[in-house]
Amino acid sequence: MTTLFAFYVLIWPALTLGVLVLICRAVLRDRREARRQHRQLV
Amino acid sequence: MNNASLHQFSTLTVILLMLAFYGGTYLMTLGIRKKKEDADAFMVSNHRVGFGIGAASMTATWIWAASFYAAATSGYTYGVSGPIHYGLWGALMILFIYPFGRRFRKLAPNAHTLGELIHARHGASSQLILALSNLLGSIISLMVNFTAAGALVSVLSPLSFQVGVIFAGVGVLLYTLWSGFRASVLTDFAQLVALMAIAVVIIPAVFFAMGGPSELVAGLDNLTAEQADFFSVDAILNQGAPFFVAVLAYAIGNQTISQRLFAVNEDHIKPTFLTATVGYGAIVIGLGMIGLMALTLGIEPLNGDMNNLIPQMVSGYLPPLFIALFFILVIGSLSSTADSDLSALSAIMMADVYGKNIARGKADPQRMLLVGRLTMIIATAVGIVFASFSLDILVMLVFVGALWGAIVFPVIASCFWSRVTNAAFTTSVIVAMVTFCLARFEWLPLTGVIGLGFEVLASIGGGTIIGLMVFGFLGRTAGFIAGVLALVAMLVFATDFLRDYTVLLASLTAYGTSTLVCVVMSLASRERFDFDCIRERVGDYDDHLADEESDEATGDLAPAPLATQH
Repeated sequence: MTTLFAFYVLIWPALTLGVLVLICRAVLRDRREARRQHRQLV
Repeated sequence: MNNASLHQFSTLTVILLMLAFYGGTYLMTLGIRKKKEDADAFMVSNHRVGFGIGAASMTATWIWAASFYAAATSGYTYGVSGPIHYGLWGALMILFIYPFGRRFRKLAPNAHTLGELIHARHGASSQLILALSNLLGSIISLMVNFTAAGALVSVLSPLSFQVGVIFAGVGVLLYTLWSGFRASVLTDFAQLVALMAIAVVIIPAVFFAMGGPSELVAGLDNLTAEQADFFSVDAILNQGAPFFVAVLAYAIGNQTISQRLFAVNEDHIKPTFLTATVGYGAIVIGLGMIGLMALTLGIEPLNGDMNNLIPQMVSGYLPPLFIALFFILVIGSLSSTADSDLSALSAIMMADVYGKNIARGKADPQRMLLVGRLTMIIATAVGIVFASFSLDILVMLVFVGALWGAIVFPVIASCFWSRVTNAAFTTSVIVAMVTFCLARFEWLPLTGVIGLGFEVLASIGGGTIIGLMVFGFLGRTAGFIAGVLALVAMLVFATDFLRDYTVLLASLTAYGTSTLVCVVMSLASRERFDFDCIRERVGDYDDHLADEESDEATGDLAPAPLATQH
């Protein structure tokens, strides 16, 4: 029960971290692509 | 802990925190500033915003200050399942719109607002109904976010509520005013990174500081049977169901979403919205867990105000540095939503009001920019005044919610069904608003045959919601079958029952009436609309994008700039 509740609470910050990493990597990729095409990121 | 007051920052600390946040954000926007901005970029960037920036912006925009407070309140009120019943449905609002968003984008690849698409499909009356609903929604959102800033500053410092409101209003306006949507999406990324990083640290920090999983499990004894039940009917009916009903309405009625649908690279719409769904759900449900923690510890909200739960837990268990981080978390979330609201409002006034109804195809891009910037200034002033005087906007909220519900079916049907007419769209929304008022304010007695009539309309509304959701992902046949099954289930279970839940009955009645009227009038019409016309009628306002697109020789027909269309 204790493990289950620990998982229930901590899975959300873990997921948040995963999405944060995914977005940061994607933005870096977007930035490289924008530079390659000589245009601004947005 | 129960009697503990919140940590208080000095006036200087709060001012420095605000200056650091808004100053840093403003400096960021200097990097993308152009001496001469163009109208299209001001509204939707270049229609090719990448996956990363798009997903960050969608997530940051959808998370507003109320998300944290309401999720924690839900956790505190409904127990174990509470945070899920707030965060999950909010996340699904992002998820369920993308299949329709792809259709919107296919029909009008160069649109800036959903209203432009509806104008091309039907004409001014339908477009203005949609624009009005978007406009009111963004004004309300702006006011709520400024209010949250005022409340946060007044609770954590000696500064007054009004100082917080003005600081947030002016700060957001300053960094959004020049570059509009471009500034909004760029700063959304930075704000989201800060927001996520802080959430990743704060949730486990509070959890372990309060004693960890063993303390949480021990505290489950403080919960009622309903609160301890993950499948609590109480939580589903009172928190989940009303949110579920609103899933499509919020998404369709919100220009901040359509703006991003038209701005993101068309190939990236699906991953962008899927990522935003997971990101929103994870942050909001996670912070909602702090409400559950407070409940298991038996903590009472300070002054009976549920909005104090998270600051109270952070103040009680963590050092002042974390309270400063929490402060930035809330300011970041409310600012990212407020700048999106300003961008949405300016786009509506530029494209829907000036471009389509005043300039009528001869829009001057520079004048459009002026309209957009003036809109931002006026909207900020209105938001600050409404928030400062804590004006009662309940009636406005009720009407906007109903309007959003009433337009869902006509908007979606107009993009897929060639028989829907302008008269069907407009009449269905007006009739739906009338029946909504009759039910919501009980202008007619909801008993006997009248009560039954409203329950039948509400059942059609329930069928419409389920049908559209399934249709978005699985297509017409599956959507129709799901809608009919939901309608039958509602007729069986909701009859003689739903009339006791006036708010839910009225909302579903709005959906049901607009669907019924729209379908009947459309079936009666002999008109058939050619959807290819929309692409030709909705284009960019500046010349450069048409040039770029023709250079690329993609094979797609690039519409001429509206400034040159006659």
